[in-house]
Amino acid sequence: MTKRSSLFSLSRRRMMIMTSTLATAALVAMAGFTPAQGADDPRNGGDIVFLIDSLGDTWIPNNSAISSFQGHIWGHVTDKLVYVDAKGEASPWIAESWEQNDDATEFTLHLKRGVTFSDGTLLDASAVVANLDIWYAGRTNEGINPIGLFPKTYDRAEAVDETTVKVFFTAPTLGFIPTLGYHGSILISPKTLEQPAAEQADLGKTSGSGPYVIDSWREGDFVKLVKRDDYNWGPEAVGHTGPAFLDSITYKLVSEQSLRVASVQAGQADVAYNASPQELQSLKEEGFTTATPRYLGFVNGWAINTQQAPYDDVKVRQALQAGIDRQEIIDTVYTPDWLMPQSLIQSNVPGVTDQSDLLAYDPEKAERLLDEAGWTRGPDGIRTKNGEQLTLTVHPNPYLATARSVDELIAQQLGRIGWKVDIRAYDVVTFGERVRFGRPGVPAYEVTRSFIDAGTVASILTSANNAENWFALDERDEKLNELRDSIASAGSHEVRDPLLDELQKYVLEQGYFIPRTQIVQRIYVQSPRLTGEVYNGVAYASYYTATLND
Amino acid sequence: MSNAYSVYVTKRLLQSVVVILLAYVFTFIVVSILPGDPVTNVLRDPQNGFTEEQIREIIAAQGLDQPIPVQLWSSLSSFLTGDLGLSMRSSRPVATLIAEVLPSTLILASSALGVALVLAFAVAYGTQFLPKRFGQDLLRAFPSLFLSVPNFVIGLVLIHLFGFQLGLFRVIEPNSFWATFFAAIALGIPVSAQIAEVLIANLDNESRQEYATVARGRGLRRARLFAKHLLKPSSLPVVTVVALTIGELLGGSLITETVFGRTGVGSLVQRSVAMQDLPVLQAIVSLAAVVFVLINLIADLVYPLLDPRVKLVGGTRHRGATSTEPLQTLPGR
Repeated sequence: MTKRSSLFSLSRRRMMIMTSTLATAALVAMAGFTPAQGADDPRNGGDIVFLIDSLGDTWIPNNSAISSFQGHIWGHVTDKLVYVDAKGEASPWIAESWEQNDDATEFTLHLKRGVTFSDGTLLDASAVVANLDIWYAGRTNEGINPIGLFPKTYDRAEAVDETTVKVFFTAPTLGFIPTLGYHGSILISPKTLEQPAAEQADLGKTSGSGPYVIDSWREGDFVKLVKRDDYNWGPEAVGHTGPAFLDSITYKLVSEQSLRVASVQAGQADVAYNASPQELQSLKEEGFTTATPRYLGFVNGWAINTQQAPYDDVKVRQALQAGIDRQEIIDTVYTPDWLMPQSLIQSNVPGVTDQSDLLAYDPEKAERLLDEAGWTRGPDGIRTKNGEQLTLTVHPNPYLATARSVDELIAQQLGRIGWKVDIRAYDVVTFGERVRFGRPGVPAYEVTRSFIDAGTVASILTSANNAENWFALDERDEKLNELRDSIASAGSHEVRDPLLDELQKYVLEQGYFIPRTQIVQRIYVQSPRLTGEVYNGVAYASYYTATLND
Repeated sequence: MSNAYSVYVTKRLLQSVVVILLAYVFTFIVVSILPGDPVTNVLRDPQNGFTEEQIREIIAAQGLDQPIPVQLWSSLSSFLTGDLGLSMRSSRPVATLIAEVLPSTLILASSALGVALVLAFAVAYGTQFLPKRFGQDLLRAFPSLFLSVPNFVIGLVLIHLFGFQLGLFRVIEPNSFWATFFAAIALGIPVSAQIAEVLIANLDNESRQEYATVARGRGLRRARLFAKHLLKPSSLPVVTVVALTIGELLGGSLITETVFGRTGVGSLVQRSVAMQDLPVLQAIVSLAAVVFVLINLIADLVYPLLDPRVKLVGGTRHRGATSTEPLQTLPGR
């Protein structure tokens, strides 16, 4: 601790006073606790450094918990009511058990006893109600956003007694329980939540109930976490409930990708986040651990704008579906760690069904469909109809480093069957501005999205209830509307699952959605000394269960 | 000091305030009229799942739905009362954000300036006094070489060589002595090129002057000639170049900070530009304006100390004296 502080000390005098105060406090604290705890367990101890490419924008819990960078820190500093594992299965955590009524509009959560936030506040029913309320509504006039993914059907929550919470919804909300294990649903001390936004934005003043607490941090630089010795309420699903083993985890921002990996290779850090896929094979051969966990959500693919010619023609869309060689994408751009898509949603999502037949590469079929649709090859090999060339304009997703390479490969594949592909790459801001679902000039919107529950999938596909209207169909496709409504009102999985299967089949058959590969958005390269980490349903690595070996 | 001098100082100070205010207003207008609205972009990111109504509420809460003149006025008036406001991006006080990053950048920039000066003077000395066969001419190529190798390449090479191979420093501790030292070298090398070029040109010029020829004819030792007679007049324009270089040090620090994993003003600017975080950009631009005004003032004050002739010229022209003017007087004499 003293070492780190002095390394970052710049305004010397002030820092020295602070450092020595902190160091004294730490020594006193350590003298008080360490002999009693853990020394008997050989797995205990160790400090790791995790190199990350960004630390995101703000630390206001509601505004930041959804970010793909800050999720790493929140995952160690806070707990959730429910644990969702890599298979999308929900299991007890702070909520020991739960019940729901028949039409999924009322839920009762039973909480663990004796859980405390790091500021000493009890994590009881009233703390949970405070969290549910702010997740749903935020305090927008103060700049504290609601959590966008939280069910909009939320009505209210009541603390029945110290460990029982009842939650009411205005409509069936089957996805509520998985939501509690997801992204933004992090439990924060009510004392922190009462603070104004500017205070909540100071990570050092935020208290969660997680296995680690913030030791020190600096914006855009680093966050150091130290373990909480009295932690005893980890999720059963990870096979450990007591205090963490590692003493500290330091997240350090290193924006250069090559430097992150080289630092781990040089033994100066333990984990490098987001390495390039092409490097993974050689790193494995050098003995480093690599991980490419998938998150629950949509596969990487295109949502087609059905209002833009020629993509208003089902045959053209079907030709696109058949004209892409997905195996070649994995072989060329990625590694065998990446998986073929089986549907429009990732294969670890509960409710997914295998639709691989609809995604088979069949260039002859694609050519036949295009012939039937009236697109014939011109002298330069490009198909035309009424003097118009068959073109597809794509915009690589700027958040996904490999998106452009995939687009380039697909351009070659489609080129062989007479399609002209234009690739227009934009930076993040311009992309956000110009490229939207169903926007004129955007025939194919590249999707990289995680979601809470397969039930929400249907509601974003059309324009009903302000939904995102992915395929610019509005309400024109009656079959899709029907499926959407029956999925949304389903009160049980038995009723819903066959409907979900039908929806997946229909969307792919119609060529509304063109899957490319299952998405991996988080790539980890790890020193072999570090073992035992766990990846949850959002593909975040948790080092709560990890140990350092020599 | 004389009455004329205090009038001069008052005028210069007023000028400075106007420059800073104009910089403030200009930044505001530029950022406001830039296409793209990152705030709504972030909110509209479908992953966040906000409804249009929620987005409107959030925008209104930040005052971003007001007309630009109204926004400018409220921003400017709080700035004038010393309130830098909250960052739109992180919701933390702008003053805190700047206070956190400033020391690191000041240390890097001043060390880099030190490196640049030492290098520039060493190269310039070499071009004058190294024997021809020991590469006097080769040294003359150094400044263009220094300028043409990109800053980040130097940085990456230094990190791989001294950080990873020799283990002198760790990338995760960018503020340690050695990490700062090598970052200062990476940043100082291109800056030294400009200083060296001006210095070499002036040394060439001065050593052709009569007094230098006379001194050499009388058998004055080369090193003594350099230190005693040539260095002082040749350094004069260096002051101007150094003043101009401060901008480059701050600009170049962005790349160096990124490569070396340092958190400083550069990385704060980068993040704020990406998000069009107006309050932070305003504060930094105003700060930069203050720094430039101060440095130019200092440069003007240093001149008379190095060359008494400047004072005479400056005395009659104090109304509009800027640091570049004395440089223009040089070739004429």
